Amino acid sequence: MESPPVNRTVPVHLGIDVGSVTTKMVLLAADSGEVLDHVYLRTSGDPIRSIRRVMNRLAEDERHFEVLAAATTGSGRTLAAKLIGTDLVKNEITTHTLAALTIAPDVQTIIEIGGQDSKIIIVRERMAIDFNMNTVCAAGTGSFLDQQAGRLGVKVEEMGDMALASQSPASISGRCTVFAETDMIHKQQIGVGRNDIVAGLCQSLVRNYLATVARGKQILAPVVFQGGVAANQGIVKEFEKQTGHPVKVFPYYGVAGAYGAAIYAAKARGERPPFQGFELLRRDFSVDSFTCRKCEEECTVLRLYREAKVISFWNDRCGRYSEAPKK
Amino acid sequence: MKVTFPHLGSMYIFCKAIAEEAGIPYVLPPPTRDRTRELGEFHTNESVCLPLKIILGNFIEALEAGADTIVMVGSGPPCRLGLYDRTIKVILSDLGYDFRWLTIPGIFNWQAFLQNHDETRELRKELTPSNFLRFPRAVMIGWRKMRWCEHLEDQAARKRAVAQNPLEVERWLQSGLAALDQARSLPAISKVCRQALAGLAQIREHGRRPLKVMMVGEVYTVMEPTINMNIEQRLGHLGVEVKRSSYFSSHIRRGSRLDRGLLKERRQLMELAVPYLNYDVGAECNFSVAEMVLAKNMDYDGVVHVYPFSCMPETTAASVLSTATTELGIPVLSLPLDRKDMGLRLDTQIEAFVDIMQMKRSGDLH
Repeated sequence: MESPPVNRTVPVHLGIDVGSVTTKMVLLAADSGEVLDHVYLRTSGDPIRSIRRVMNRLAEDERHFEVLAAATTGSGRTLAAKLIGTDLVKNEITTHTLAALTIAPDVQTIIEIGGQDSKIIIVRERMAIDFNMNTVCAAGTGSFLDQQAGRLGVKVEEMGDMALASQSPASISGRCTVFAETDMIHKQQIGVGRNDIVAGLCQSLVRNYLATVARGKQILAPVVFQGGVAANQGIVKEFEKQTGHPVKVFPYYGVAGAYGAAIYAAKARGERPPFQGFELLRRDFSVDSFTCRKCEEECTVLRLYREAKVISFWNDRCGRYSEAPKK
Repeated sequence: MKVTFPHLGSMYIFCKAIAEEAGIPYVLPPPTRDRTRELGEFHTNESVCLPLKIILGNFIEALEAGADTIVMVGSGPPCRLGLYDRTIKVILSDLGYDFRWLTIPGIFNWQAFLQNHDETRELRKELTPSNFLRFPRAVMIGWRKMRWCEHLEDQAARKRAVAQNPLEVERWLQSGLAALDQARSLPAISKVCRQALAGLAQIREHGRRPLKVMMVGEVYTVMEPTINMNIEQRLGHLGVEVKRSSYFSSHIRRGSRLDRGLLKERRQLMELAVPYLNYDVGAECNFSVAEMVLAKNMDYDGVVHVYPFSCMPETTAASVLSTATTELGIPVLSLPLDRKDMGLRLDTQIEAFVDIMQMKRSGDLH
């Protein structure tokens, strides 16, 4: 009898971080924990499409990955978990901590600035003990930088170098995006150079972060900086100046949440439901929402469709839909 | 005359029972919804705290539903809550509503008595002798209902954390509270509550030891689930037992100054805050700090501190708690609450907080 062709597969653990602005993926080798692949792409308001693109990349890889366990994180974590069929869903604060602890076991402070969120996580003796997240304002997050880059007509990626090139940063109010913008326009009008404005912006972003997000938290070295904004060297340098500590930016800083999720998946014990991520490439999925008026809670209930058939509900507080027996 | 009152957790059961038993016509404000919130936001200054906005919304909706007499609790400065009754009164008059106002004083003293006397002058003429005669029994029924109600909520908080399906707890609690609301005599009250307790007791448990947190902060935020975004439930469903610092009945007992033991307990509690805060900031600020020390002494796993965004006393407390957390070694989650659409961010923070407590207890996330 002829034996079937040997189909060597690489066992992996997968972490997906669906953020408000970007979607990240990290693939870890199950045996060594080494990063085999990572992706960083814009969510562009369509998480299903971005997850599908991630799956496409996995499916097309010649190494034939076999996903042993997958975990999702980020603000789109619940949707992502439904789509790929996993029960491992972790908040981004914990996944960022896991990532930082894996890369730098002695870390004591984690700064994380992403698209809409900025966080500080205080770690002592390899355990997160305290954290804080920006509350009601997105001033000083990635999307703010993005917007201002657009307004100044520069690429957000260039802002770091521009800031470093500045000799005398302009003073810009960072408390509120609206005021910051007013300040910037004013500085432009009176003839301040673009580099100085960008440097001033970085300065005010860091000042705002330390005064609000990190308020009352004890920042101790080693400090690790993660999230998309860590790409900006101007901000890294500004953090070093204002905190007085060296700030470390490790490779994979931009995908740290997904990295942490993959580590979480690797650590999970017990039986996992089968990985369904590749279904996304074969069939059509869509999601919509409606407001339930059955009580004063008025939950926004989310509905996941597979080819025009509802397969899942969530976000209802009473379980009226999510707990209902499947037809 | 049609009396109305604001929503404050399950306080409506108490107020409704008194009005019903004494035969005073009343209008129950519709349950707090998005519209309530929007009404309140529209008619107030943007920086005013959430409880004021929601209470105002409750009143507008109640006046729309035909109420003409508003009963509101009062308290003293420095907190803005101390000026709530006055502020709301002015806003409602400016909006052109015709209504009468009755403040239930937060502390019973001469000044409160005189104000009360003044405000009730007109109202008393409309009440019949029967209303007065039935009043003592009405208060007794109301009080009993409130105590039961708080006991049920307490038991539900305990059970939620250990139930295999926490949604069953919500169903028993909701049906229990609804039945309690309908009960019209003392035996009927005990009967429906015992049924609800039995219902809660038979829910199957998962057998893990729950995390325990103390919920401290501004009174209204601690007690009203529509303001604190159901934080008790959210935590409960993650396997956390929540002990509330504020109950309506304890506020009444404190305000009445009848229970000497309670007052002494209160003074002792206040002492606990002294190492961190030796000036009385006012409102619940010092108690939030004291209760955190208490939580540590009682081996709780953490403290959840809720307050309305821009609340002065509690913002002060938040910075004290943030310093004390490292010294005491007890995790604190401070949540300034403002809008409704923060649900997702709230879940992220709560989940991370639970992870921190879990790690601290067992050194493992699972």
